Amino acid sequence: MSHPEMDTDVESSRQERAAAAVRPEKGMEVFRWVVTMVVVALLAWGLTADIRFNRLLGAIPAFGRILWLMFRDPDWSALPGLVSAMWESIAIAWLGTVLATIVSIPMAFLAAENLAPRPVVFVVRQVFNVLRAIPELILAVAFIPVFGLTARTGVMAIAVGSVGTLGKLCYEIIEGLDRGPIEAADAVGATSPQRLRWGVLPQVMPELASFAMYRFEVNIRASAVLGVVGAGGIGTLLSQYISFKVWERAGIALVVVIVATIAVDAVSGRIRRRIVTGPDGTVDDSSIDPDALGEASIIVHDRGGGPGGAGDQ
Amino acid sequence: MIQFSNASVTYPGGVHAMKDLDLTIEQGDFVVIVGLSGAGKSTLIRAVNGLVPLTGGSLTVDTADGDGGRRSHEVVGLTGAGLRDLRAEVGMIFQGFNLVTRTTVLNNVLMGRLHRVPTWRTLLGMYPKDDIEIAMRALERVEIVEKAYVRASNLSGGQQQRVGIARALAQEPSIILADEPVASLDPPTSHAVMRYLQQINRELGITTIVNLHFLDLATRYADRIIGLRSGELVFDGPGSAADDRVFRDIYGRSLTAEDVMGDADEADVQAAAGSVPIEGGAPE
Amino acid sequence: MSPFAIAMGLLVVVFTAVTVYATDFSLAGIVEDLGRPNSSFAGLLHLDWTQVTNTRALSAFVETVQMAVIGTIVGGFAALPLALWNSRVGAPNNAVYTIAKAFNNVVRAIPDVLWALLFVAMVGIGVLPGILSLIFFSIAVTSKLTSDVLDGIDLGPVEAAHATGAGHTAMLRTAIVPQVLSSYISFLLYNFELNLRASAVLGLVGAGGIGQLIDFYRNARAWRQVWGLIVLFFIITFLVERLSLYFRRRLV
Repeated sequence: MSHPEMDTDVESSRQERAAAAVRPEKGMEVFRWVVTMVVVALLAWGLTADIRFNRLLGAIPAFGRILWLMFRDPDWSALPGLVSAMWESIAIAWLGTVLATIVSIPMAFLAAENLAPRPVVFVVRQVFNVLRAIPELILAVAFIPVFGLTARTGVMAIAVGSVGTLGKLCYEIIEGLDRGPIEAADAVGATSPQRLRWGVLPQVMPELASFAMYRFEVNIRASAVLGVVGAGGIGTLLSQYISFKVWERAGIALVVVIVATIAVDAVSGRIRRRIVTGPDGTVDDSSIDPDALGEASIIVHDRGGGPGGAGDQ
Repeated sequence: MIQFSNASVTYPGGVHAMKDLDLTIEQGDFVVIVGLSGAGKSTLIRAVNGLVPLTGGSLTVDTADGDGGRRSHEVVGLTGAGLRDLRAEVGMIFQGFNLVTRTTVLNNVLMGRLHRVPTWRTLLGMYPKDDIEIAMRALERVEIVEKAYVRASNLSGGQQQRVGIARALAQEPSIILADEPVASLDPPTSHAVMRYLQQINRELGITTIVNLHFLDLATRYADRIIGLRSGELVFDGPGSAADDRVFRDIYGRSLTAEDVMGDADEADVQAAAGSVPIEGGAPE
Repeated sequence: MSPFAIAMGLLVVVFTAVTVYATDFSLAGIVEDLGRPNSSFAGLLHLDWTQVTNTRALSAFVETVQMAVIGTIVGGFAALPLALWNSRVGAPNNAVYTIAKAFNNVVRAIPDVLWALLFVAMVGIGVLPGILSLIFFSIAVTSKLTSDVLDGIDLGPVEAAHATGAGHTAMLRTAIVPQVLSSYISFLLYNFELNLRASAVLGLVGAGGIGQLIDFYRNARAWRQVWGLIVLFFIITFLVERLSLYFRRRLV
């Protein structure tokens, strides 16, 4: 003990202060209480729908029975047809995403506040909002009389459904552009196309490409069920096998969808990471945070990842 | 009593963080462990509560059993409930405070009661009155009770570390381990934190083991100093016996300004301890 | 341009060409189709605004919202433990981690409408299969998003909780949940928007809500009514999205 006199002094003042310090009252947790009540009330209201829960009892044995029928003795002869239908779904999702990307870039320039006049920005953004709100399957229903019961209807439904989300993300990127490279291009006397090529695109491309890939993953899920209304892909077979209870084929169909979706996710996920992080796993462009492109971050910070269709997940 | 016999820790990478250590720490001691970073200070402290398992030798930790008696824990091989029983008796304070910054100070301190509170109560956040009382008293001891319902993220570093101390105290532990508790703090705050630890040690008789890098803090607050170098014990003696020569030996190099925290103005220390300094009442 | 960018560019061009062939897609065909008069777009031009006040349409919408509410609350709550087990730090052991991860991957790969097809086959048509589909859909969405956030949390409090002798569940509740709670609630609201959108299409396969009415008018070739319902649907989801966005912004 090097400073005994100081310790006693600290001790006495500590006791004084401890006596003086008052325990705070716990505040009323009004917010938490209100939220709980609202959730309970919503749930109670939801349960007043015509649900007929008694059917749940039968659901569990039915689930077991269906699984058994699906995989007891699968009808492998259906596999080639299912694989080629799944391939059509993937093709629909890909082509739809590509078309949406091509259309959304010029539209995004018209929706960016720093480039386009206000009335144009307003109109284009409302178009994006409307397109974002309508599920692909509904679009497909509406497009069938136009494009027929073909994969073309599926492509158009996916493309139109994705323009909203891709466009929104794209104009947000453009509005957040770093002025430095653009001014540098101007300073060396670049023409407008050159300025776009060297000042704007290098900043926009990685983020947009990465998000378009992500959108492709989402669109696979949407295109897998478009066939339910006859718009091409594996959905037609899925709905036939399940509705007519051809379980020994439905099981294989389910596995094909799951395996293909997981495989595409895995490949696409790798490419996205590579786009954002560069060859050695480090970020080439310090302005891009590799984690900022995660889906979770897009939603928390609301960066264009807003709902874009029923298949969005 | 904490007793290491022939204790060793080898990490999967092949690093020997502790080599054949023989060491006994008596109940109620205030022990400071010094050494360079990588000398095995953290390993030694974390071995006591089983956060780092020994790979050789033995370690016995005696704690109170809750009924006024003593209980002896054989740490090597301890898992599951036995390990949690030991940890419940050993409070720990961290360099980075390790608070949940997005919740209240009181919720952080109540973490020290988790071992005693049934899981369903924890899940619902319905802690028994007695446990809240213990947490409040722990906060009073480190003089920050007025912040009980404030989010931890709104506190300064020194205040956060006091909450860390309160969390350890709320366990009503037999032993407190502090791993570089002042490494992220400025000198006045560091002194304030060390004094809280010293008071707790003296008033409650809790065995206290602190890792420090700063020699002057070590000699000033320690009853006993233990020097480690490359996982081996190179000094063991009272704080008063540790002079510059001893430290040069422990560090294996000459001392630099980095190794000394420096004295702080008493008024600053008092302020860091959470009070307004009393006019004219400061010593010196 | 980097070799990677060139390779990716080539890959995109080739893959696009292949998919154009696979889907028999042509811009000329699209233009030609659009030029031909068709019943759907004719209906859009004269859409039936009375659907906005039609009691049958409105009650179908109420059903849709109810399905989305139950699906979000039940599925969203079930998603939290799954999300915790689906992360390295939250799983009590490797077996649980592996199982949770596999379960999540499979559930995530199944689209909402496919769930509806399966549940309609199991329990018959109506609201119940719709709700069951949305529960699974919500588990997939919320648990994936939440476990992504869990990968980036501060591990200090986890160590602190272990050091106090806390059990695994108590550690999850006190050291991890408070760190992800606001993101999790934000995901629940986002999930509700998705569910509202999804619940509108589940009816196309018989799983209740407004989709069933859309399907009815579609089969009757009543395009004016179909478009009227789509407009009504848009108005409602737009309002819900604004509301949800308002709360989500406040949470961050």
